[in-house]
Amino acid sequence: MDLTYSPEDRAFREKTRRWLDANVPKDDPKTLGERKAWHRRLYEAGYVGMLWPKAYGGWEATPMQQAIVQDEMARAGAPPAINGLGIGFIGPTIIVHGTDWQKQRYLKRMLTAEEIWCQLYSEPNAGSDLASLTTRADDQGDHFRVNGQKIWTSSGPIADWGLLLARTDSKAPKHKGISCFLLNMRQPGVEVRPLKQITGSSLFSEVFMTDARAETRDLVGNLNQGWAIAQTTLGYERGANSLGRVTRYAIAFSQLVKATKELRRGGRPLLEDPVVRAKLGKIYAELEVQRYAALRVLSSLQKGESPGPASSITKLSYTEFEKRYFELALEILGPWGQLIAARDGSRRSTRPPASPARGRPRFCGRARARSTRARPRSRRTSSANASSACPRKCAPTA
Amino acid sequence: MDFAFSPDQQLLKNSARAFLDEHMTPAAVRLLWDDPRGESEATWKEMAQLGWLGLSLPEAYGGSALGMVESAILLEEMGRAACPGPYFPTVLAARAIEEAGSDAQKKRWLSPIATGDARATIAFLDADLDWRPDAIQTRAETTAGGWALSGRKQFVPWAHVASVLLVPAKTPDGLTLFLVDPGAAGLTLEPAQMMDPATRLASVTLEGTPVTGAAVLGKPGQAGPLLKALLSRGAVGAAAEMLGAARRCLDMAVGYAKVREQFGQPIGSFQAIRHKCAEMLLEVENSHAAVYYAAWALDAKAEDHDLAASVAKAYVGDAARRVCGEAIQVHGGIGFTWEYDLHLYVKRAKALEAMYGDADYHRELIVRRVAA
Repeated sequence: MDLTYSPEDRAFREKTRRWLDANVPKDDPKTLGERKAWHRRLYEAGYVGMLWPKAYGGWEATPMQQAIVQDEMARAGAPPAINGLGIGFIGPTIIVHGTDWQKQRYLKRMLTAEEIWCQLYSEPNAGSDLASLTTRADDQGDHFRVNGQKIWTSSGPIADWGLLLARTDSKAPKHKGISCFLLNMRQPGVEVRPLKQITGSSLFSEVFMTDARAETRDLVGNLNQGWAIAQTTLGYERGANSLGRVTRYAIAFSQLVKATKELRRGGRPLLEDPVVRAKLGKIYAELEVQRYAALRVLSSLQKGESPGPASSITKLSYTEFEKRYFELALEILGPWGQLIAARDGSRRSTRPPASPARGRPRFCGRARARSTRARPRSRRTSSANASSACPRKCAPTA
Repeated sequence: MDFAFSPDQQLLKNSARAFLDEHMTPAAVRLLWDDPRGESEATWKEMAQLGWLGLSLPEAYGGSALGMVESAILLEEMGRAACPGPYFPTVLAARAIEEAGSDAQKKRWLSPIATGDARATIAFLDADLDWRPDAIQTRAETTAGGWALSGRKQFVPWAHVASVLLVPAKTPDGLTLFLVDPGAAGLTLEPAQMMDPATRLASVTLEGTPVTGAAVLGKPGQAGPLLKALLSRGAVGAAAEMLGAARRCLDMAVGYAKVREQFGQPIGSFQAIRHKCAEMLLEVENSHAAVYYAAWALDAKAEDHDLAASVAKAYVGDAARRVCGEAIQVHGGIGFTWEYDLHLYVKRAKALEAMYGDADYHRELIVRRVAA
């Protein structure tokens, strides 16, 4: 057991930090074009597609290096890469199960975010019981005719392509009649309708397919083997964001502590209230444990081991931790914690004199802090970044 | 970076598991519950032969000079077996003697500890049960022959079998650590009966107890930082034992859920039980990460080693309480009976929650470090 970073990893971290210091844009990219351009720079610097084979445009870096990049990006407040689902899950699926033609046609454009990908899995009546999906793909000889509805589709409105699970044999047992396709989202038979969430934003969409066309050459793997394909690649990218995620937590925690110094109760800062202190101590202990657990998963990934149930534990652990963290932040901040914007839309006027709004927790791509310069402003996760949506998928995959 | 145990560490873990499975069966633990001393001399000697007592002592005193990670591995296994005995108090006291002792003191105590011929313990707590060294009220006054100690120490682990007590006391120079013979004049031991019959604690009353100048461990007035460091180490050790006890409870709960049938099927097929077990596993695995990170940080003298120790004690204390409690719930009524073995481990974890600073104490230390 040895938890020191290797000299190579330390040097890699230094190099990454220098690159980010020199390259992170002063203003966040806003349009899809700007975000694709930033993604492209990250890719060219070797910070996107890090685990992909070089043969397909990747960098063959280590899981630790990938985690270090995410960690440094969190520290630097760098805008995330996009196309996370494509690069994290769909690309690896094509690499493992796809044809040479599919690899040539799709992979590089996915890495460079020239084409954005979404995942067409869940349906209104097929959620955790995914295998009961009813979207059908009927063989028409040279193509499949697709009819059905998908839901909870991240990046729907900006997606050019989707990885589709559809039923190709309605008589077979439910797991055995499903096939996997690459579906062109830019065709008349595909309609994307954003779903408005209780947050007011739309990170997910519904996708309606009416006589849509999936080409035969875009069938992934063999007919009726889609379920196995979906199973084997879901765990591909575990651990990538583990360190970056914890760094975002730590940034948010220090903002919360700052707020407890500025807000007062009974004539003294909240930070001097023993009840508040006990809560802060408890949440910080949990935060640190997330970090230790992340190192544990990374170290096993680094050795080429499959972390097995550990990656499910990590996911369960941090999602529940985040909820507890936000609940605590809301308790401490009171109404300030529920503030979204002032009526006139100005952010300045939303801050009290002592500015505890700066202490509002900002996870999920919104926690921004610079190692070299502070940028206390919030940043909303927009739809193209849907794969990094709060709180389920806190950080972007690269 | 490697979070997994090295082959040697894994070997140590395996041999500890094998030894304790053989010698510390639930029946053996129950026999010691009823034993006045509460420990087995034969097992103690075997532990010495296995090198456990000298595990982290310098080789010059018959030790193996291994680190806190190895200690935590052993302690986790001992917690898993609810093994009664003064193992951890003794090695923690040995650590104090090694860190602060003179050559003569080390020679006097460390070799006998490594060979299993001496036991030691530290009397941290005074009457108000405050773990902060600053809170200690026991006093030492200078006399012609050395010092006279007065005060009341509470919940001293295994004092009734100790060959030497490490007693911190206030002197005009500040907090000072003394090596005290439990048979000294003016010293009274009162064993306490605890909820965990394997945890033997005693109050120690000192009424002008005389010690010589040679009994001072380290420099007079310098005990504060040493006690804080020992508390960090104690916190990690206790967390490791709690982890072992919690994992045993989890294993028993999962095993039971697979065989106990209701409504014609194993109760483990019910989502209510499955989710409980999944949450328990989550807390046990996170506890593993917390314990071994903290142990490694102590060995590596990492910048955050004291923070990590507090995180481990605070997190694992809460987690072990929940896991052990949920294990009782998964078992239902049988889990609450004296004859079923689950309470051996539940009680071990409960007893350790309160030692070396409870979760609240360590949460306050954490806030002091990260929200100053």
